[in-house]
Amino acid sequence: MFSRIGAVALALALAIPGTSLAAKVKIGFINTITGAEAPIGENLTNGVTLALEDLKKTGVDVELIKEDDTGKPEKALSAFEKLATRDNVAGVVGPYTSACANAVASQADRYKVPQLIPAAAKEEITRKGHQFVFRLNAPADVYSSVLMDVIMSLDKPKTIAYVYANTDFGISTVKTAQEYAKKLGIREVANEKYQKGAPDFRSTLTKIKTLNPDLVFMVSYEVDAITLMRQSREIGLTPKAFLGAGAGFTTAQFLAQKKISNLVFSSTQWTEDVNWPGARNFYNRYKAKFGKEPSYHAACAYEAMMIMAETAVKNHGDREKTRAGLKSGHWNGIMGEVKFADYAGYTNQNNHQMLVQQVQNGLYETVYPAKFATKKPIYPFKW
Amino acid sequence: MNHPGILHNRHGASPLAIIAFIAIVALLIAFPGFVESPYARHIMVLLFLSTIMGESWNIIGGYTGQYSVGHAAYFGAGAYGTLIVMNAAQFDQDKLLELKDLAQDSHLSALLLSAHYLHPWTGVLVGMLAALTLSLIIGSICFRLRGPYFVLASIAVAEIVRISVLNLSDLTQGAEGILISDLPPIIIGGRTITDFSTKVPFYYIGLGLVLLTILVTWLVQNSKLGYFFQAIREDQDAAHSLGISLTFYKNSALAISAVLTSLAGSFYAIYIKFIDPTTVLSLDLSVQIVLISIIGGIGTIYGPVVGALVLVPLSEILRSNYLGESLVNSGLVNPDSAVGNFLTENLSHAHVLIYGILVVLVILFMPEGVLGFIRKIMAKKRLGRS
Amino acid sequence: MILFLQSLISGILIGGVYALIGIGLTIIFGVMRVINFAHGDIMMVGMYMTYFLFTLFGIDPFVSVLITIPMMFIFGGIMQKLFINRILGSLPQNQILLTIGLGLIMSNSAMLAFTSDYKILTTSYSSSSYRLAGLSISKPLAISFLITVAITAILYWFLMRTDTGQAIRATAQDREAAQLMGINVKRMSVLAFGIGSAMAGTAGALISPTYYIFPQVGSAFTLKAFVITVLGGMGSIVGATLGGVIIGVVESMGAAYISSDWKDVVVFTIFLLVLLIKPSGLMGTSRT
Repeated sequence: MFSRIGAVALALALAIPGTSLAAKVKIGFINTITGAEAPIGENLTNGVTLALEDLKKTGVDVELIKEDDTGKPEKALSAFEKLATRDNVAGVVGPYTSACANAVASQADRYKVPQLIPAAAKEEITRKGHQFVFRLNAPADVYSSVLMDVIMSLDKPKTIAYVYANTDFGISTVKTAQEYAKKLGIREVANEKYQKGAPDFRSTLTKIKTLNPDLVFMVSYEVDAITLMRQSREIGLTPKAFLGAGAGFTTAQFLAQKKISNLVFSSTQWTEDVNWPGARNFYNRYKAKFGKEPSYHAACAYEAMMIMAETAVKNHGDREKTRAGLKSGHWNGIMGEVKFADYAGYTNQNNHQMLVQQVQNGLYETVYPAKFATKKPIYPFKW
Repeated sequence: MNHPGILHNRHGASPLAIIAFIAIVALLIAFPGFVESPYARHIMVLLFLSTIMGESWNIIGGYTGQYSVGHAAYFGAGAYGTLIVMNAAQFDQDKLLELKDLAQDSHLSALLLSAHYLHPWTGVLVGMLAALTLSLIIGSICFRLRGPYFVLASIAVAEIVRISVLNLSDLTQGAEGILISDLPPIIIGGRTITDFSTKVPFYYIGLGLVLLTILVTWLVQNSKLGYFFQAIREDQDAAHSLGISLTFYKNSALAISAVLTSLAGSFYAIYIKFIDPTTVLSLDLSVQIVLISIIGGIGTIYGPVVGALVLVPLSEILRSNYLGESLVNSGLVNPDSAVGNFLTENLSHAHVLIYGILVVLVILFMPEGVLGFIRKIMAKKRLGRS
Repeated sequence: MILFLQSLISGILIGGVYALIGIGLTIIFGVMRVINFAHGDIMMVGMYMTYFLFTLFGIDPFVSVLITIPMMFIFGGIMQKLFINRILGSLPQNQILLTIGLGLIMSNSAMLAFTSDYKILTTSYSSSSYRLAGLSISKPLAISFLITVAITAILYWFLMRTDTGQAIRATAQDREAAQLMGINVKRMSVLAFGIGSAMAGTAGALISPTYYIFPQVGSAFTLKAFVITVLGGMGSIVGATLGGVIIGVVESMGAAYISSDWKDVVVFTIFLLVLLIKPSGLMGTSRT
């Protein structure tokens, strides 16, 4: 009995065609639109929407096929297989999360579909030698090193405490931070993992307060950053500097919390005041269109879509040529200079310069590295 | 409780049903031969996976009436057992030396080190064993409780397992998850399979597991064991007073269910090649497993099959927004109009919402699942005819 | 010593909010014997309500509770009337599934309406505290604790002293007997679900100034509510209050003295121990 129903269901699933009207070059975009990771995913969607507008203006006309992976690797794989074999896309931008990007990366070479990852941080993804997998953003290790560098340029801190989310991103970032701190001779006094979304960190923070570290290094991808800083203030935790890695410390919402965000350092892939071509303009247009500030994910997704679409159209949608185009190309847009290179065990990885920003008087100011800085860092921290 | 006619099972199916079953299986075996689309094969693999999960849960939930909402624990046991061993087997010399150092003072590292010397595919057995052990522990704790208390306890234990896997990172790599790049070759009947990229091996492994779970369910249903399971479901106290050992039979049902679920987990792990606590151990997954059986119809052999046939294509169609896009692409709706915009933009955000609405509708209007609903309609027709 | 006292105080205060979530669930379960998997999502609705009352009309979250409570009561009552009442006699797994489905509908409707963006409600006191001998006591939590105590007391009085309250309790004790006594059981169920939803919504309102709001925020709290309810004894208001405070303190102490990543295991272990040793919970009486 069951296969008759199955055959009908399957026929339905496969028969409704995704045919296009003209022979436009098709680009797939896999993103997390629903589910727990959706809040950040939305930034990527918006970034891509702006990219399409700009592409149209410059005469690059592509057909975008959006797929939702709901944050689950097997769904990301479904999406990718559909894009690769049914929609015949020239290339894929995404997925957003590391778990999903990774699942797709393992298949990109098999289908010979170029994949450009805009914002997933897991280091391994571009360390497996996949020829069709490209990554625009800097991987997790850079988030921590650049933050320590800015402090080392100001002081010789002795002790550090880690507070971070028990997630892939949190753990891998702190791992690299620990290695780097050891090299610099900074002693670890506390190492506290927390469950994402917990409402109460007061006892953990009190514990850290009693240890009186010079630096408090926090990794928080989401709004937990605000909860952490609110309760740090409540408790009266006052290190010489708060270092924030991860998106939680780089959002407009964090900035809006004036009482608690002032003087916090954070590492980011992108800032609006950096002197990369079009960064400021992107910020203004994004804000006008969506009524809120873009996060660095939005900028990453925008640039990834621009690069993928231009390359694919230039190569008339040929996958192999698009791959070669990505490999040999060179861009200079809102993410600064982009080039996909093989280095330090990475393949097709853009050696992206991460930035450190600090909240000063209610604004994010780029403070490191010096050649991109708009303001000098303020140190030490005070409430 | 309303399970009409389930205790009076037709031993031995009708010849027609047997022929139909064989024909369907033959068709499924031939399927990869004439369908080469990897996407279609992928959907079939997902379909098999859901069926295995549903059938496995059905033994404890459907036949024995113990609604475990913690089956992700067994799924995770299978997935982690498989990938830990497979990963350990591929360790290089540097990693081994490092592990030997660590093994001096960490039990977990010592365990990981010993996994290196196992055959890479024995991980599946390790996973089954882990699931079996887990089921016995969970059973001994949770089966003292009944009804809603059992449901909540099963959730709690599964959460403990999830958090433990998250924190025992020496063995499980914690939140970072385990990633493998290549599967070790399988030798079946003298043939060595090394190329998994065609999905054909996964297709047949999945189909094999589906048939296995159906066979186990059939055996359970047509044995004394199954009779006792169903007696417990219908009335625990009555069953007990007849001398049926509640603890023994509930634990047996859970053990069978757990081991089969772990196979589903192993299958998922080798197919996706990446696992972490959120994907294979979450409460979401436990709920999804329960959903398959209930939507299809619990306590029947083909209920979970029907459930998977409904849910997998449905969620794929909704996820990729076939409906909205094909309406726009067909030219019926102008893509730039408000309706077109709604169909392409908003509808793609709404697929989980639609899914939720369908779940509610099924529960309200087909309380015995889709299969139960179909049977009822057929029974009505038959009555009308006679 | 500071660490101990600080953890204790924070634990008790956050436990107050947990208690409200637990009370809501315990009333629903007590009367209907339905495990409400949508409880956290109902709380989410309360959070959005609070957020918009604050941003659009400038009503302080602690004042807007007066609006949130009746609105959420009506919301819950309608949900009971339209959906849950239809399946009260049906299989337990269907009841679970129905509430899961309703939860999905709520959270995803919220996503369509308000996008999946995090909403943050910032009041002038969101990160301020009272200082007392080296300890800090969170202002918003202290106020919400007092509100919780007041609401619990009123609810307790309502259930113990009024006729309707007694009818609800009678329904909880024995549905069939209550029906025979001439109590309108369906109406009591609507009342109970309304009250339960109002409590969940209030908890959402009270936690809003110190937390954040997004469509999927509920699921973590649903799980917590289960633990609290069972710990206290299903159907017992005093038990749920106690359970909430205990969970708050255990989490806080666990984070301070064991580690923040294992604290949830401690919570679930206590939960299981209570189930095994005293399945009726700390204050519960009946078991089935």
